[in-house]
Amino acid sequence: MDTTVTYILLIIVAFIFFFPCLWLILASFSKSGTIYSFDGFFPKEYSFASFEKLFTDTSLYNYPQWFFNTLFVAAGSCVLGTFLTILTAYTMSRFEFKARKPIMKTTMVLGMFPSFMGMIAVYLLMTQFNLINHLWGLILIYSAGAPMGYLTQKGFFDTIPKAIDEAARIDGATNLQVFTKINLPLSKPMIVYTALTSFTWPWSDFILPKLLLKEKNLYTVAVGLMSLDETEFARFAAGSVFIAVPIVILYFCLVKNMVNGMAAGAVKG
Amino acid sequence: MKERIKNSSGKTRLSMLVMGAGQLAYGRIGKGLLFLLAEISILYYFISRGFGDIKGFFTLGEQKGDAWLGIQGDNSVVMLLMGIFAWIVVAALICLYRWNVKDACHMQELQQQGKPLPTFRQELSNLVDKKFYVTVLVLPVIGVCVFNILPIIFMILIAFTNYGGNIVPPELVDWVGLQNFSKLLTLSQFAPTFFKILGWNLLWAVLSTALNYFAGLGLALLLEKECVKGKAFWRAFPVLAYAIPGFITLLAFKFMFSYGGPINQLITASGGTAIGFLDLDAKWTARIIGLLVNCWISVPSIMLLATGILSNRDTSLYEAAKIDGAGRWKQFQKLTLPFVLFSTMPVLISQFIGNFNNFGIFYFLRGGLYLDGYFLASDTDLLINWLYNLSIDNNYYCIGAAISLVIFIITSVISLIVYVKSPSYREEDTFQ
Repeated sequence: MDTTVTYILLIIVAFIFFFPCLWLILASFSKSGTIYSFDGFFPKEYSFASFEKLFTDTSLYNYPQWFFNTLFVAAGSCVLGTFLTILTAYTMSRFEFKARKPIMKTTMVLGMFPSFMGMIAVYLLMTQFNLINHLWGLILIYSAGAPMGYLTQKGFFDTIPKAIDEAARIDGATNLQVFTKINLPLSKPMIVYTALTSFTWPWSDFILPKLLLKEKNLYTVAVGLMSLDETEFARFAAGSVFIAVPIVILYFCLVKNMVNGMAAGAVKG
Repeated sequence: MKERIKNSSGKTRLSMLVMGAGQLAYGRIGKGLLFLLAEISILYYFISRGFGDIKGFFTLGEQKGDAWLGIQGDNSVVMLLMGIFAWIVVAALICLYRWNVKDACHMQELQQQGKPLPTFRQELSNLVDKKFYVTVLVLPVIGVCVFNILPIIFMILIAFTNYGGNIVPPELVDWVGLQNFSKLLTLSQFAPTFFKILGWNLLWAVLSTALNYFAGLGLALLLEKECVKGKAFWRAFPVLAYAIPGFITLLAFKFMFSYGGPINQLITASGGTAIGFLDLDAKWTARIIGLLVNCWISVPSIMLLATGILSNRDTSLYEAAKIDGAGRWKQFQKLTLPFVLFSTMPVLISQFIGNFNNFGIFYFLRGGLYLDGYFLASDTDLLINWLYNLSIDNNYYCIGAAISLVIFIITSVISLIVYVKSPSYREEDTFQ
C-alpha cells in the first residue's frame, strides 16, 4: 500500500518534470513552424525542417553566429573565471593574513546588493566609454565577478589536510610549489566543478548580454532566442534543444563528478 | 606603531618625509627607487588632474555644454566617476605611505639587531613564497574592485543625485541629498506603486521560498524511502529540469500558457473559451503560474541539496525513536526537520534573497507590461523588475538607484535577523 502510493507519487513527479521537456523536444521536430498548427500539445507532422532552417536561414536570425558568440564568451570566462576563483579560494583557505577577515566580510556584504544594481552601473559606465557591443567586455565582467563565489571552493580546500603542506614546507618547498605540486593535483574534481559552473553561467545568462550587446550579429543564444517572433515557435524549440543538450549532458557528468570528488576527499581526510 | 615612530632614527624619518628616501639611505636602491617613483607618479597624477577630479566630485560640473556657442561642457557622470577614482588613488597613496614607513622601521630594527637587510632579489622571491597570497590576490582584488565595488559605489552615490529623466549629460547633474528616497515614499507618482510592489514582493518571497523548500525536501524524502528501487532513474527527471537553462524553461512556459498555446487549445477544443493566463487583467492567475513555474525551476536544486544532507543523518536516532513508539510524522517533526533546517539555514537565506530578487520569472512570463494604477510596472512585477523598467527602459536612474538601496537594506536586515535567530547561530554544536 505504502509502496504503491510512493510509486504513484514518483510517476507524477517524473511526469511533471519530464513533460515540458518532451513537449519542447517534439515541438522542435514539428513540420510547420507556428504553435497554432499544433494538435493540442503535440505537432501533427514531424520533420527536421526547423533544425535545417535554424542553421541555413540566417538572414533574419543568425543562429550559428549566436552560437559561436555564446561559445566564445562562455569558454573565455570559464578559463579566466576558474583560474581566479581557484586561486582566491586557495589563498583564503590556506593563508592567515591581516586582510583575510575584512575581505571575507566585504564579499558577504557585496553579495547582499542586488546583482542587478552593479549591472546598471556597469551599463552606464560602458555606454560612457563606448564599450557596448564587445564580446570580450562580457568575458571581462563575468570572470572579474567569478572570485566572489569562492566559498564552495574554499570549503573544498579546507578539507585537504594541511599536514602535507607543512611536510613539504619543511623539505624546503616554496608556497608556490606547495600549491602547484601538491594541492592543485589533489583538487582536480573541484577544478572541473568550478569550470563547469563558470561555463554554464554565461551560457545561460541573458541580462548582461541583453544590456551590453545591441547588434544582432553579436547576440548570444539567450538574447537571440528572446528576440524571436512569437510565430517562430518551432525555431525557438529547435534552438533551445540544441543548446540545452550539451548543458544537460554536462550536468549529468557533473553530478557524478561531484559525488566522486566528495567521496575521494572524504577518504583522504 | 606609535612606539616605533618615536624610536625612529634619522634614516627612517627620511622615509616619512619622502617615500623611498629611507630605503635609499639604508642602501636598498631598487626598493627605494620604486617607492620614489610611485610617489612621483601619484603626485604627478594629482597635479595634472587629481585635484580637479576631487573638486569635480563635489560640484559635478559647473559649465553646461552649449553646441551653439561651441562650449565643451562638463559631463557630470564622467566627473562623478573620475571623482570616485581619485578617492581610490588617495586611499592607495595612504596605504603605500604606511607600507613605506613600516618598511623603513623594519629595516632600522633589523640593523639595530645586527641582522643583514634583505636584498631586492630576496624580497622578490618572497612574493612566490612567504607573501604568495599577496601575489595571488592582486588580480582578483583588482577585478572585483573595478567590476563590482566601483559600480556599486557609483550606484549608491547616484541615489543621492538627480541623474535621470531629462537630466542626463550634457545637462548638469547635482547632489540632492535624500530627496529621491522621500520622493519614493511620498510622491503620488512613485509611492503607491512602491508600496503595492513591496507588499507583493515580500509575499512572493515568503510563499515561493516556503513552497520550493518543502517541495524539495518532500521530494528528497520520497526518493530516500527504502521501498524505492532505481533511485538514480527517478532522480534523473528533476536533474533534467535543473540542467535546462532557466530562460529556455521560462520562455517555453510562456508559450505553453499563451493564447495559441496547447493548454488553451485543449480548452477551446473541449468547448471553452481561451483564457488569457498572463493577460493584463490576470492578476492572480499570473501570480500563481509564476509561483508554480518558479517551483518547477528551483525544487530540483533543493532536492539535490537535501539528499546530500539527509545522507548524513544519524540513523540510530530514528531507531531509538521507533522503539519509543514515535510515528512517522513525529519523527519528521522532531528529528528530520530540525536537522535539515539547521544544516540548510544559510541556503534558506540565500534562497529567500534569490526569490526576493527573482528577476527572470516575471520578466519572461509577463515582461514589459505597464498597468494603470502602477507607474511603469504591472501587478506581478517585483521591485527588481520595477528597477529594470525604471532605469534601463525609462532612464529614471536616480530613482532606480534609490530602489536598489532599499532592496539592499531589506534583504540584509532580513537575512541578519534570520541568521541571528537561526538554530545554527544560537546552538552551534547541537548537531556536531
